[in-house]
Amino acid sequence: MSNLAVLPIILPLVAAIVLIFFNSKVNVSRTLTKVFSLIGLGLSGYIVWEVLKNGTIILETGDWVAPYGIVLVMDSLAAVLVMTTNVIAVACAFYAPSAGLGEKENYYFYPFFFFLITGVSGAFITGDLFNLFVFFEVLLMASYALIVLGGDKVQLRESLKYLLINLFSSMLFVTAVAFVYGAVGTVNMAQIAQRVQEADQQGILTTVGILLFFVFATKAALFPLYYWLPKSYVVPNPVISALFGALLTKVGIYSIFRVFTLIFVHRVDLTHEVFIWFAGLSMVFGIIGALSTSNIKLIIAYNIIPAIGFILLGIGVMNETAISGSVYYLVHDMIIKSALFLLVGVIAYVAGTSDLKKMGGLIHTYPLLGWLLFIAAFVLAGIPPFSGFIGKLLLLQGAFEGEHIIIILIGLLTSLLILYSVAKIFIHAFWGDKDAMGPIEKKSTKGMVAPIVFLLALSVIMGVGAEYFYPIADSIAAYLMDPQIYIDSVLKE
Amino acid sequence: MEIIILILSGILFATAIYNLLQKQLLRIVIGTALLSHGAHLFILTMGKLKTGQPPILTDGVSDYTDPLPQALILTSIVISFGVTSLLLVLAYRTTQENKTDNMEQLRGKANE
Amino acid sequence: MIFAVLIPLLVACFIPTLSKAKNKIHTGIFTFFVPFFIFLYFIRFVGKDFTPIRQTYNWIPSLGINLDFYLDGLSLLFVLLISGIGSLVVLYSIFYLDKQERLGHFYVYLLLFMTAMFGVVLSDNVFVLYTFWELTSISSFLLIGYWHFKERSRYGALKSMLITIFGGLSMFGGFILLSVITGTTSIQEMISQTDVILSSDYLPLILALILLGAFTKSAQFPFHIWLPDAMEAPTPVSAYLHSATMVKAGIFLIARFSPIFSGYEGFFITVSLVGIVTLCWGSYMAVRQTDLKAILAFSTISQLGMIMAMLGFGTTAAVFAAVFHILNHATFKGSLFMIAGIIDHETGTRDIRKLGGLFTLLPISATLAIFGTFSMAGVPFPFLNGFYSKELFFEATLDLESASLLTELIPYLAILGSIFTFVYSMYFFFGVFTGPKKLNQLPKKPHEAPVGMLLSPIILVLGVILIGLFPNMVNAPFIQHAAEAVNSNAEYHKIGFWHGWDFTPLHMSLIVVALGIVLFLTRKKWSGVYKVLPGKLSFNRVYDGLVNKLDTYSAGITNSYMTGSLKLYMSLILATMIIVTTGFMLLTDGFTISSNNLADITIIEVSIVIIMVVAAIATIFTKHNMAALLILGVVGYGVALLFVIYRAPDIALTQFVVETITVALFILCFYHLPKLRKTDDSSGSKTLNAVLAIGFGAMMTLIGISAYSTNWFDSISDYFLKTSYKLGGGDNVVNVILVDMRGLDTLFEIAVLGIAALAIFSLIKLKKNKGAE
Repeated sequence: MSNLAVLPIILPLVAAIVLIFFNSKVNVSRTLTKVFSLIGLGLSGYIVWEVLKNGTIILETGDWVAPYGIVLVMDSLAAVLVMTTNVIAVACAFYAPSAGLGEKENYYFYPFFFFLITGVSGAFITGDLFNLFVFFEVLLMASYALIVLGGDKVQLRESLKYLLINLFSSMLFVTAVAFVYGAVGTVNMAQIAQRVQEADQQGILTTVGILLFFVFATKAALFPLYYWLPKSYVVPNPVISALFGALLTKVGIYSIFRVFTLIFVHRVDLTHEVFIWFAGLSMVFGIIGALSTSNIKLIIAYNIIPAIGFILLGIGVMNETAISGSVYYLVHDMIIKSALFLLVGVIAYVAGTSDLKKMGGLIHTYPLLGWLLFIAAFVLAGIPPFSGFIGKLLLLQGAFEGEHIIIILIGLLTSLLILYSVAKIFIHAFWGDKDAMGPIEKKSTKGMVAPIVFLLALSVIMGVGAEYFYPIADSIAAYLMDPQIYIDSVLKE
Repeated sequence: MEIIILILSGILFATAIYNLLQKQLLRIVIGTALLSHGAHLFILTMGKLKTGQPPILTDGVSDYTDPLPQALILTSIVISFGVTSLLLVLAYRTTQENKTDNMEQLRGKANE
Repeated sequence: MIFAVLIPLLVACFIPTLSKAKNKIHTGIFTFFVPFFIFLYFIRFVGKDFTPIRQTYNWIPSLGINLDFYLDGLSLLFVLLISGIGSLVVLYSIFYLDKQERLGHFYVYLLLFMTAMFGVVLSDNVFVLYTFWELTSISSFLLIGYWHFKERSRYGALKSMLITIFGGLSMFGGFILLSVITGTTSIQEMISQTDVILSSDYLPLILALILLGAFTKSAQFPFHIWLPDAMEAPTPVSAYLHSATMVKAGIFLIARFSPIFSGYEGFFITVSLVGIVTLCWGSYMAVRQTDLKAILAFSTISQLGMIMAMLGFGTTAAVFAAVFHILNHATFKGSLFMIAGIIDHETGTRDIRKLGGLFTLLPISATLAIFGTFSMAGVPFPFLNGFYSKELFFEATLDLESASLLTELIPYLAILGSIFTFVYSMYFFFGVFTGPKKLNQLPKKPHEAPVGMLLSPIILVLGVILIGLFPNMVNAPFIQHAAEAVNSNAEYHKIGFWHGWDFTPLHMSLIVVALGIVLFLTRKKWSGVYKVLPGKLSFNRVYDGLVNKLDTYSAGITNSYMTGSLKLYMSLILATMIIVTTGFMLLTDGFTISSNNLADITIIEVSIVIIMVVAAIATIFTKHNMAALLILGVVGYGVALLFVIYRAPDIALTQFVVETITVALFILCFYHLPKLRKTDDSSGSKTLNAVLAIGFGAMMTLIGISAYSTNWFDSISDYFLKTSYKLGGGDNVVNVILVDMRGLDTLFEIAVLGIAALAIFSLIKLKKNKGAE
């Protein structure tokens, strides 16, 4: 059964390789992509069920006993995130054929797509710090490939900056792994955790931890390291933006999650306290960014940053309520962000512009899009009864249990401004005279709306049906709060 | 000696960063190359330098250098190579399309 | 009770289908039955021996969020108001809104609002209450923006949403605090833990957060500014949401939480003060308006302030008066809004300057308006319910528990507010229905409204008169229960008209009427006072300023650092990393250095190192492409040499190969890229670069030394050396690690190379194709 842990990595890898050979046959590629993504979803769903029922699945690759070989650790957190990844993959796979990729579709779009899923899933599952670096590189390389696909002026320019900043942080990552190895003599995460615990996280260990934090924070787009994000997420095709917005930054925040709930948990008063500040500043500066622009894609891209802030807040507060809130919010945000990126993609497509100042009255021609955006705005802002609310409720309750008052107030104010930033799109783009944009001919949105409805429906279900999801988040939180469970399950001592 | 190599790695990082902070794309590319050299030396040093023979098992030898950092460096070298190749092509294409190799002229407008 | 909440929602789902038949049957007719049946269902609870009812349905029990409905006197009052006024408003809207309008949307929003409002007043669970609370804001947003092709509608909708959701969120914050402190999410259980809450350190914060929710929703000073702009909504909506029900949600909230907070001095001061200031400011501003609906909007603000103030007083008499006035206000203000709608509908304008002398043309409306306005003014006639509540209000202001400057002032402020109330009430009636006719200024030729449209205001005015004639009819079975829910000490309070000449509230009423008449008649003479106050002091301007500044400042801030300059981004990233990481190193005393375990220093090695350092530094200064390449080669091969020296043959080999290929790539790249130039950076910028570079390099070295000097544990490598041959079948341990122990790394390292190759291929190929086009 333990081979289950590697399947979510192998399946997309195989899919990617198969699709390379069908590159020139677009129709075959499209069908295969849909089939593979659905298999992936089914598989990851089964894994979640299996893990929740029977506990963490450990796979020692090549039968090399932990901590010496690379261990794959499919615990409840990893399983849930892998499944969410596959949900988004399905939505994007069905959206892609209508996304107007043009001839980019012939240039290995689908293989890159699956390589990205491979890297993301691998990063969630691996239990080895250096292997995490390798999976980071897989997903980054796939993202470089996707972001430059098509290669017009603006795109090339922004991809170059994206690549350079990520290259810097990758090099920092390997160096930090080396430092970890130098200090504790291992790269297996469970063993690192065990040894850091034995050493009581003394000496240089905390500093190395902070270095790792910065590496992940750069990928997660936390304040003040997110400069690369907004523009580079806006330039590619919406389906690519949706993948990035939903997955890339989340891998970064996941890594912070893992490392700072498992390994560096012995100086919480120092490290995690600082995280709360980073969380607060990310919320403030992120939302300021979202309010600064009239480009609808940019508004959504900036909105990634406060969301990451909210997730980090839970890690910073570090109690069970807050962590369960973070987990809930993480899954919620992956889904709603991809939905929103796809949605603004469609809106920009039908309006022929992404500048809000040039839009108006779209609701007369595209009522469905308008109402989807309307709902998405409330989901994003965490208005009940949608999914964002549950996460936010838990986060703020946890923050108050930890007596962090100021961050609660910042969080509430940020929620209001998040709503404002998206409601602005609704008011300016959808409300208004029928011919506010002159006579517009109705463009077909066939195939583009269904994936968005699917994702939004999930958000609503995660909110209204929280009774079914919250216990999972809570059990993950309880599990994360006790790193010994992870250590024991890997090292079997 | 380890300390000297660590200082060397630090200097490689410093010169790399100085180059990364330049405007001209070529210098930035040079910076990235220096950066990976620095990183690899850091890894190597963490496995202790020269306490034994190369990690190729030979009869009668019991003292070997640490094989793990070497394996990690190998992986890292290959990955860096991939990234550097892509970077070079990307840099080339960007300068061609935008007709400049000055990063400060590649800023873009606020609302694009 | 759950059906009261769910039925409107369910019907709303069918409205789009039903509205397809719009040319045959008005959609409002279907809608009407919803609130009407709910009203009939709940009216049977009215009676002397009513006891609270509770019904619980599980929703998210593990988070303590349940559909926990609690019907006590207070919620019963509100439910009847919502369903009763709701029925009348829907009835009225059938005649007010043309069949050509998008009626489907209108009634969906309206039903959504009913669901939300029933939810707010029936929920005992704070988070469910919050859910419905936000839903009222959302449906109000949609209703205000119903005619969204109008710029003013969009402005009003956004404004109301921002202000009320701001309040909603802060109330949510207050609820979170309360739920954590008390460990429960039920309001009734919180009330039973009043002492726990009152002794909490966070009490002022909790109170402030919850009050912000109530004040914004009930349009209290200075958050009242959204209500006048909400008048852009169709008139039935204004009558319903923005006068009779939604704006009273804030009042409801305060009333609900009164049992908890009334023992706290801060509650008394804040709520009374805000209420009384709102009363005065609202009525003062109402006199100045020219739009009929604006007059009514400010009047609503002022009346809400009065109710709020009474809840703040918290005495049994005040609470009773507050609850009584909630009912009375709904009757007279509802009818007046409908009459304003009739006037707008029949004359085509709501501008009071263009209206006049309509008494003879709209006699029925005018008669109704007399009752409405005089009741609002609190004219002492025994058939006007407004008088009773006003007198009870005066009575309450005289009977406050604590003594302070504020309690001394309150009666005078109450009189002041009431005088202006009197003035605008008279102004409304006499301005529209008496005086010279100005028919040429009207867009339409006025005539009396159809019977259907008059039906609802007639019923409401009958309510005004009946409650006025028999105030105690509603008292014992109804108002009394509501008052008890707010203040458990409330005793039965008989309402009477005549208390003798010695009765101070009567004196106050007479002063109000006398001064009111004088001010009304001389209002043209003193209208200059508005130039002084508010003059330029406008809260609207503050709001507009805030919203605009929010956009411009955020653009300013963001554009100041999101310049697209890689150099700036890198500098900021580096600076942050250096400061925070070094900070942590100092804070945790992280730096260690040990001279154990160090390899010997040899001349060869040092020479290589020196050459490499020189070469690395030279990259900064070189101005020739070939020189740069050469120097880079020196560093690269230097690294390879070090690998050789430090017994790492495999990586040395790889490094040589890769370095060679890279150099080749570089040559290609150098060939195509422009030549290196001397940097034109200023010396300040150069220094900054140098500081960042050296700082970062030094930091990494220090961390490296400390990590190296940390020797608490053995490396896992010993295991590799031991088992490489036995289990891995290879002598070359590095190879065994790569292909076996860490085979997964290698697999995906190859994947990375593969992706890079594909990416490069498509990057070049796609360009070529483009060129061919």
